[in-house]
Amino acid sequence: MDTILEKIIRATIDGDEEKTVALARHAMADGMEPFDVIQNGYARGMEIVGEKFAELEYFLPEVMLAADAVTAAIDIIKPYLKEYGEQSVRGTIVIATIQGDLHDLGKNIVKIMLEVAGFSVHDLGADVTVRDLIDKAEAVQADIIAASAILTTTMNHMPDIDGILKELGIRDRYMILLGGAPVIPQWAKEAGADGYGEDAAEAVEMARRLMQLKRGGE
Amino acid sequence: MLGFWEVMDRCDRGPLQKEKQYDMQLVRAARKQAAAFDIRFDPESVIPDDDDLADRLYQAALAFFVENGVYCRDTGRLVRFSRREVEDSVENAPRSITYGQGRETAVMTSRKVEDAKPPFITMTPVGTPVAEERFVAMVQSFAQEPLAQTFSSAFSQTVNGRVIKAGSPQETEAAIWNVVKLREAARLAGRPTIGIHNLVTNAEATDATLAAIQPAFGALPNDGLGIAAISELKVDYERLKKVVFCRHSGHNVYGLYGPLLGGFAGGAETTAIVHVAHHFLGLLIYGAQWHCGFPLHLHHGCNSSRDLLWLIAITSQALSRNTRTPISVSPFSAAGPCTDMVVQEMCAISIAATVSGANLLACAPARNRHPERGTGMEARICAEAGHLAARQALTRAEANRVVTSLLSLYEEKLADAPLGLCLAECYDLDRLQPTHEYMDLYDRFKAQVGVMGLNYSLL
Repeated sequence: MDTILEKIIRATIDGDEEKTVALARHAMADGMEPFDVIQNGYARGMEIVGEKFAELEYFLPEVMLAADAVTAAIDIIKPYLKEYGEQSVRGTIVIATIQGDLHDLGKNIVKIMLEVAGFSVHDLGADVTVRDLIDKAEAVQADIIAASAILTTTMNHMPDIDGILKELGIRDRYMILLGGAPVIPQWAKEAGADGYGEDAAEAVEMARRLMQLKRGGE
Repeated sequence: MLGFWEVMDRCDRGPLQKEKQYDMQLVRAARKQAAAFDIRFDPESVIPDDDDLADRLYQAALAFFVENGVYCRDTGRLVRFSRREVEDSVENAPRSITYGQGRETAVMTSRKVEDAKPPFITMTPVGTPVAEERFVAMVQSFAQEPLAQTFSSAFSQTVNGRVIKAGSPQETEAAIWNVVKLREAARLAGRPTIGIHNLVTNAEATDATLAAIQPAFGALPNDGLGIAAISELKVDYERLKKVVFCRHSGHNVYGLYGPLLGGFAGGAETTAIVHVAHHFLGLLIYGAQWHCGFPLHLHHGCNSSRDLLWLIAITSQALSRNTRTPISVSPFSAAGPCTDMVVQEMCAISIAATVSGANLLACAPARNRHPERGTGMEARICAEAGHLAARQALTRAEANRVVTSLLSLYEEKLADAPLGLCLAECYDLDRLQPTHEYMDLYDRFKAQVGVMGLNYSLL
């Protein structure tokens, strides 16, 4: 007989939103610890989904289905969480594909994987100006500003994130995370990034490290 | 044949759909046809020689395209076509495209599976970033290659010493600079009238692109543009504006399709279906005269992996057996210039494409993302492999043995492929020729693959 947590993991891997939501209600009705349900149920399931994606046993649609199923379930659990913001959110990230660039597939994958990892992610979409990214980061008191470019023609807007933050005197409030097809580590460093992600998995790992750095510095 | 206005009416009036819903339904629709037509990837048969499988794939892609349609991002609508309309577009598609002038006139046509006719060779560093002072040298290294029939551009990291931002007025200036410098490179290569298949690769904004395409800057009347589809099977107004320009100006136009294996299109079989379907998009919406595919592995960022080689081979066979529209494949390697691995990868992809009926657009080393890592030598390696496959009249079964042998040399190293050398490190820039080190490396490869069945002395 599977435990509720095992059933949650299974339903998450299957991307079965009906089940993940029903199991969330069941778990809360049974008085289970909300954070435990998220960490050892839904997050564990998504870890497995991430592993399957890395091996291309799962493809992007399966990852998106699973992420949607977990998001819907966590919406059920949120009201039960005590000090939800402090306990369950790893950090707040604003993310976008940079100005002039309409290619958002890579950014969308990173966004999903960041959500899976427990970050609160505000996605501004594609073709977003640096100023809009910064304004959003200010509005939601973000920890990390993440930007993607898939074109060599558009990546040159990225250094402005560092530059404008400095001009505004608020550079120390944010970590900058850059990525995208033409972006390589050395270039990202020269563009003022605090972190770089070669792919979605590396971006998530870097976001975790940046949060450690940021919180360690506070 | 559907006209421009009818296509735009469908963009403006087709059924409304959320983009995410479209993304999620795509793989379901492709899986349905993969099951219906029994499309299966066999890792042991990298270059399949199963004509029935190729024909089934074509029919699966046709059924998928008719059911799934294309997504127009600016209107949020599905753009649908009937089976008859797709078949008409295939039947009436251009069968030859002429580039260049005078003695550099070159005509691209379609090829057949196992065709002895050599592939048409378009050469380009595929927008590899390069320092401004080496831009002309880099693109000249492609234009001067004897097998190059057209060429195209790298991406200068600055213009007039300035970093160029997309959408800025400086981008328009940079686009014009790009065309001027490409034609200068052609002259320096001793081929002043060679065709340029994609005139502007350093501008994202349509206005910058179109402003640069003028005879005064060096554009020939039949130079052209490549117009990419957005992954997967999506179009937008910016791309359609370029279509309008080419339709009226007489400049050649080709479609660029880079579906991601592992992305919205799913695995090898369904990505193959989606890739073939992109060619219908190109014919019906872009009015593409030829088509260039660069399907990529989502994690590896190249198309030299086993599943991508299969995909390239079977999709090229499906298209060359069922249409007469010229198709081309762009090899993307994981390894960078002047490495054993880049030669192995480029050779494997080029042979898989050529014996399957494709032409070659060569090429993108080092996953097409590392500055200065792209030279005419990698394009030569691709072109010579393609010419050799045709000259030897390799069958698919023979090619499968060669490519499988090559794959065994590099397959395990794809994730950690060597970055290789920069242009200035593997070329003598005074003579603009590959270094002895690079030539020796290539010569060793040619000797090594004799036992695999490739006879480079025939070239």
